[in-house]
Amino acid sequence: MIANTIVETESPEEFIEEIEKAQDCLPKKIDANPKTVEKGLAKLVLTLIELIRKLLEKQAMRRVEAGSLSDEEIENVGETLMKLENKMDELKEIFDLKDEELNLNLGPLGDLM
Amino acid sequence: MKLYLYGIIDSSDQITESIYGLEGSSVYNIPFCDIGAVVSEISPPIQGVTEGAVLEHGAVVEKLMADFTVLPVRFQTVIEGRDNLLLMMQSYYKDFKDNLARLHNKLEFGIKVIWPAEKIKENIIKTLKKGKQKDSESNSSQGRKFMTEKFEKYKIDKEFQAKADKFIKVMDTFFSKFATEKKLRKLKTEHLLLDAVYLVEKSQESNFREAFEHIKSARSDFKYLFSGPWPAYNFVVLSKQSALLTDSQQTDLLDKVTQDQMLVGADSI
Repeated sequence: MIANTIVETESPEEFIEEIEKAQDCLPKKIDANPKTVEKGLAKLVLTLIELIRKLLEKQAMRRVEAGSLSDEEIENVGETLMKLENKMDELKEIFDLKDEELNLNLGPLGDLM
Repeated sequence: MKLYLYGIIDSSDQITESIYGLEGSSVYNIPFCDIGAVVSEISPPIQGVTEGAVLEHGAVVEKLMADFTVLPVRFQTVIEGRDNLLLMMQSYYKDFKDNLARLHNKLEFGIKVIWPAEKIKENIIKTLKKGKQKDSESNSSQGRKFMTEKFEKYKIDKEFQAKADKFIKVMDTFFSKFATEKKLRKLKTEHLLLDAVYLVEKSQESNFREAFEHIKSARSDFKYLFSGPWPAYNFVVLSKQSALLTDSQQTDLLDKVTQDQMLVGADSI
């Protein structure tokens, strides 16, 4: 007797596309190629900076939502976050990295972001 | 002699059916107590991951699944010689037995759901816009504008996540009735609402399939993928330490298992 495994869908192309998208940003191995090591390192560092930036942003949004920031504080935080985002965009451009690439697979814990 | 390992089975008997594995090699069972390690012999190192080799590996595991409870082993798990294999079996025997007992008579099914993310977002934006209009115009500073824009996005995303949770909860309620264990991943991409695997008793297979058909007919604007039955790739759980070996012995043993994977089911199908 054979298990008769089936894969059943009416939209195979769409699922393939989404699965590939989900896998694209999750390198299973570190690329230690000497030609790309700089980019690999930049990717790792920028991923961590991006994580911290997103956490800061989320915290700021939560505080805006809760009404615990004054107008002045909102302006200051907004300007800081804007500058940080602009700087990140510049660095991403320098190292030719896309937003989707700034992620890490933490195994059973899932993705970093 | 290198042994390519396909899986651990709940039998120490020889496999009666002729099964051929990687590179057409004969597959056989190496018994250890009342369980066995299903292997084939390979001489050259495996050259990378090819689609054909992955399919050959999968086909062996699926054939085994028809007659035994199988703990599928990751693709490209190679052990140096029979002695090391037996040492590994001894080391993980309790883990293997626990998993084999837990997974006996159970099958894995995969369910993926794509939802119309753009349409869902559009509706959220419409609803949120209804509530407010005057706010953003009077804010002139750059920092303030930035925060206003970000806050809008934050609210949309929050609502988007909440809707995803709601849909997943409804679907999962149906599937969980017939499953003993599950692993759910929400929004792996913006469109991939759900990527789930369920462990289902063989006796509940048809009920589980019916639940899927029911869910499928409920939302025609969602897209669904159903797969299975699979061996329990995602439900093999090994404890980190083996009671039979010391730390250093265990490290030695793990070094002898080539490739970077140890025994546990594959992450994804």
